[in-house]
Amino acid sequence: MKKIFFLFIFLLSISIFSQENIFTTILIPKELTENANSVVRNQKIDVEIFSKKNMTIKKYKVVTVLNSKGLGNIDAIEYYDKSTSVKSIEAIIYNSFGKEIKKIKRKDFIDQSVADGFSVYSDDRKLFLDYIPIEYPFTIVYTSELETSNTAFLPKWLPLDDFYESIENSSITIKYMSGLGFKYKEKNFNNYNISKQQDLNQITYRAVNIVAQKREELSPSFKNIYPSVLFGLDFFSLEGVEGNATTWEEFGKWRYKSLLSDNEEVSIQTQNAIRELVKDADSPIEKAKRIYEYVQNKTRYVSIQVGIGGWKPMLVSDVDRLGYGDCKALTNYTRVLLKTVGVNSYYTVVYGGEEKISFETDFVSMQGNHIILALPVATGYIFLECTSQTSPFGFNGNFTDDRYALIVKPEGGEIVKTTNYNDSKNKQIISGTYTIDATGNLSGFIQIKSSGIQYDVVYPIEKKSNEDKESYYKNRFSWIKNLKIKKINQLNDKEKIEFTEDVEMMAQSYATISNDLMIVPLNVFNRYVNIPQRYKERKNSFEVSRGFHDNDITQINFPNGYVIDGKFDNVIIESTFGKYKLMLDKENENFVLKREFILNNGVYDKSEYENYRKFMEQIAKSDNSKIILKKA
Amino acid sequence: MKYPLLVVLFLTTNLLFSQKRELGKVTIEELKEKYHPIDSLAPAAILFQTGKTTFQYSQEEGFYLVTEVEVKIKIYTKEGYEFANEAIQFYVGGNEKESVDFSKAFTYNLVGDKVEKTKLKGENEFIENVNKFWSVKKITMPNVREGSIIEYKYEIKSPYYSVFPEWKFQKSIPVKFSQYETNIPEYFTYNVYRKGSLIPVESKSKEGKTISITNKDLVRSGAAIKYERTNESINYTVEKVVYTLENLKALNDESFVNNIENYTAGLQHELSGKKMPNSMFESFSLTWEDVVKNIYKNDNFGEQLNITNYFENDIKGFINDQDKVNKIFEFVKTRMNWNGLYGYNCDEGVKKAYQNKTGNVADINLMLVAMLKYANVDADPVLISTRSNGIPLFPSRTAFNYVIVRVNNNEKSYFLDATDKNAMINILPLRDLNWNGRLVKNDGYSEMLDLMPQFISNDVVTVLAKIENESEISGQTREQYFAYNAYNYRNKYRKLNKESIVENVEKKFDGLEINDYEVTNVESLNEPVIEKYAFVNKNEIEKIGNKILFSPLMHFKADKNPFLVEKREYPIDFSFPFKDKYSISIAVPDGYEVAFLPETITLSMDNNYGVFSYIINSSANQIQLVVNFEINVSIVPAEDYVMLKEFFDRMIQKQNEKVILLKK
Repeated sequence: MKKIFFLFIFLLSISIFSQENIFTTILIPKELTENANSVVRNQKIDVEIFSKKNMTIKKYKVVTVLNSKGLGNIDAIEYYDKSTSVKSIEAIIYNSFGKEIKKIKRKDFIDQSVADGFSVYSDDRKLFLDYIPIEYPFTIVYTSELETSNTAFLPKWLPLDDFYESIENSSITIKYMSGLGFKYKEKNFNNYNISKQQDLNQITYRAVNIVAQKREELSPSFKNIYPSVLFGLDFFSLEGVEGNATTWEEFGKWRYKSLLSDNEEVSIQTQNAIRELVKDADSPIEKAKRIYEYVQNKTRYVSIQVGIGGWKPMLVSDVDRLGYGDCKALTNYTRVLLKTVGVNSYYTVVYGGEEKISFETDFVSMQGNHIILALPVATGYIFLECTSQTSPFGFNGNFTDDRYALIVKPEGGEIVKTTNYNDSKNKQIISGTYTIDATGNLSGFIQIKSSGIQYDVVYPIEKKSNEDKESYYKNRFSWIKNLKIKKINQLNDKEKIEFTEDVEMMAQSYATISNDLMIVPLNVFNRYVNIPQRYKERKNSFEVSRGFHDNDITQINFPNGYVIDGKFDNVIIESTFGKYKLMLDKENENFVLKREFILNNGVYDKSEYENYRKFMEQIAKSDNSKIILKKA
Repeated sequence: MKYPLLVVLFLTTNLLFSQKRELGKVTIEELKEKYHPIDSLAPAAILFQTGKTTFQYSQEEGFYLVTEVEVKIKIYTKEGYEFANEAIQFYVGGNEKESVDFSKAFTYNLVGDKVEKTKLKGENEFIENVNKFWSVKKITMPNVREGSIIEYKYEIKSPYYSVFPEWKFQKSIPVKFSQYETNIPEYFTYNVYRKGSLIPVESKSKEGKTISITNKDLVRSGAAIKYERTNESINYTVEKVVYTLENLKALNDESFVNNIENYTAGLQHELSGKKMPNSMFESFSLTWEDVVKNIYKNDNFGEQLNITNYFENDIKGFINDQDKVNKIFEFVKTRMNWNGLYGYNCDEGVKKAYQNKTGNVADINLMLVAMLKYANVDADPVLISTRSNGIPLFPSRTAFNYVIVRVNNNEKSYFLDATDKNAMINILPLRDLNWNGRLVKNDGYSEMLDLMPQFISNDVVTVLAKIENESEISGQTREQYFAYNAYNYRNKYRKLNKESIVENVEKKFDGLEINDYEVTNVESLNEPVIEKYAFVNKNEIEKIGNKILFSPLMHFKADKNPFLVEKREYPIDFSFPFKDKYSISIAVPDGYEVAFLPETITLSMDNNYGVFSYIINSSANQIQLVVNFEINVSIVPAEDYVMLKEFFDRMIQKQNEKVILLKK
């Protein structure tokens, strides 16, 4: 007996010893601390799917935080609601020698409502740790266990989930009940050290030694360059509703049937009102336009996320009565109104955001974070943003443009790409004229017409105060010193989706006088000033996600009594990135400056980055070109 | 001829009548109004907001505070829809809880020529439990459109009558009429603090009130003892004060503003004294001395300065050191980690905070005072109000939210704040730099101290450069950051590796190429930070015909004036006085000669606010430029804004002037 006891103690001490080894920070390989604010020493996620309606997620994460910027990578946070409970949560802090310095129990975690400022109300809550470190580096061991009846979303595995964080060891294991149609999709494994092990009803992925990544300008979205695995079920449960994700068609059918089909009732008064509204409209598009404007005038965007409300639109009759709703509610409301007057349109799920994030089209699952409405037309679809009270009919802007989305039709789902405003569809035309007087003062007039995303960026200025408008132009023409705005006229043409600005301005001493010379920066109205960041060694490919087409023509009147002493040489730059032209011509005694800049959309290899930077640098420099005048 | 007068009179009374500020009186004219008569682009406007704070009495709870607010808002455009949502926070952290109730909430719309009225129902009200101390009641008004008028009333009940809810006359939209009424029983006296430059019209009156109290007393009647009910009435007077402001402009934020809240017209009430019947007068705070004494008396403040046993062993070594202030300051900064919480009272107490190595502002800075005193240094706490807390103009406990340290050593005095690892002696985190603080001594003496730095923070740049290939300027830069400039450098870059710093500096100078970057003294806080690097500037040189043009300040010139608006309502806050000095020498390339040099000038502002001087010379093959830019004050008052803007305009113009070289 004694012997056994001894052995037991011995084993115990070994395990303690090895544990301390993990928690000491001195043993972290040097390459993992390079550019890193934190190091994931060991992360294990264990997911067990017992049934369609029962899943547990256990997390174990050991992170060494090297400095205060790495605090954000502890990720000691769990969200819960009526269908998800936090069964346990705790953390232990070790100093750099592996000595325990603090134990944090559940009651020391902060329990808070998920009030994101965006939602008016949400019943989701979060439990999170707010630890104030007393020294760096330190290591935290975080464990948690969640139980949920929702299986529509399985955890996604992102071994690397942030910049400036390296990974020593990270794994995920999913055990699943058979017959639920378990599936997975691997992304961007390319050069990373990732292994997979598959057994009966079980799958494990493991990543080791991934060095910290730096954030670089113009990088494609995180999920398109770094490794991840998506998991999902063909047959799942969402807030008590059973679902099917075998194909997009089936998934769409399910979504329509369970979340939309029983919510199409609208009051007789409203029915009559909208029938009256469209009675002399001669086409479905005209009807849709009138109803879209009706909704824009009647409703406003308010977010309410309660229970299945996170997925199911609030009642059409409530939206009708209350005049507000979130994206689901307002889109569905518009859809039902259109249906009432015999126009078909479809609830469409998309990822909203300036970054163009697409649906994973080959992985059928709950995706997206925003809803818009698709209106079928001869050429495809027109997409309506129903949460905006000001957006023109059929205009997506940079929030939902050019990405894959899911259209939910009663007969089944369909993946489509939303409208793009690339290159020449994203246009700005400037026609201007300016005069320089003998003292170097400038007076000028400019007309700017913007369409596409350029429209989207500029049209909200229409509603701003005069003071704000003046400040806006002073910022926009920041290179003109002493700028005074004399007159502003703006026209928002929602039919053409074009914004026109007429601006009259003046600036004292715009040109500088040096003895008998006068130096005039020629390009008064449109200069490109953002030169991309230089990197000694670019790591990632880069992306120009929204190209544009600018075309400027400016008439110039130089002061009398001066002749040209020297001028820049006309510039023409052509490359894979786009085209740029700047030329000064003389037309009937007048000088005309012509500028054209076309920037192409595209994803490019990192080796092209320096060329792209030079291309932009050249343009910025040309835009600053000057002419020297001499007293005759 | 008599008739017109009558008509006019009739019209005026009618006008007055329609001006009545009551809920439920929405007129078609109001609904028809398309834009605000004065601020035509306002997205919405407050037609009126009236508030009334009264004391109510219940036998169980005693006096409690009831604040009723009625609001009427006109929505002009869709941008104004956010004003159709309201959220009121209330305290649930104590034994006694606050409550908020909304009522009389309606949206009015014009439908045809009829007024349509939609009621706010329970489904539009939400309570959110933010955390264990605070909850929020939110409403979302139904059926809101352009042109709608919305009205609601809310009532806040609170057992905490030491402070009234702050009344804000001004908002980010225009306010036509704003009135706040207080009804204070004779038992209480309040300090009233006014914010902003607008002075409300006040009217005062008194009225009597009666409270009935039922007493159940044990009464001996003969041999029996029984309960007897007696009714008692207490009469007291209530003072009513009504504050009114009309036609208030929307409030806009601007650059270099300390805290816009400082300039928002508003009222705060704080209990200063209480005298209940049959008891002594109890004073809370009246003068700064009272405030300070009260704070000092608290166990979590004064008492904390006397505890020394926990650190004695650890600081023994410093006590006889020449440089003991610095040594102790560094010791506390290194050991302690600020948990991000403000306050002049200790959270955990200095002893526990010391053991845990973490604490709030008071834990850390009062510990520092205790240590310094223990080492026989003349050190005292200074109560301050941080920028985010606004400027304290009146004595009150809530005027302060933070405490720092003042040291008097060899006839010089310094401020210390050990919550920030980059802070130094007399270099405080920027959040502390907010007008005045209040020094507190243990004998109750207190004194006002100016917190704004009086000394100049220098930045010295030396550049040796040459023009190459008629297209670029390359050279060497050495930049020395002193005082607050060094503090700012460390705050921004101390934790970054060299590569990231270089990327940041390249970005700051719009695509400058930087090589051989070296920085020293980032960790030696008492030395200036010294940065050295080689650069190539490819954007500055412009070759036109036989001439080369460039600004000799190169990438150091400012591109635009930070002051855009023509008029300004608030002071301009630079945080600290500074002086930037550039000494630049540029070699003229072979085959070229200087054809033109910008003029040497000096610009200065009145009141010695600032100076800009630009001195340029050239010899056969060198251009020498010395530029000085100094702002000598931390704050420039709003009335001197135009002068300041003009100064910046002319300075930036000068910085952008070009040298012209001519090919020989």
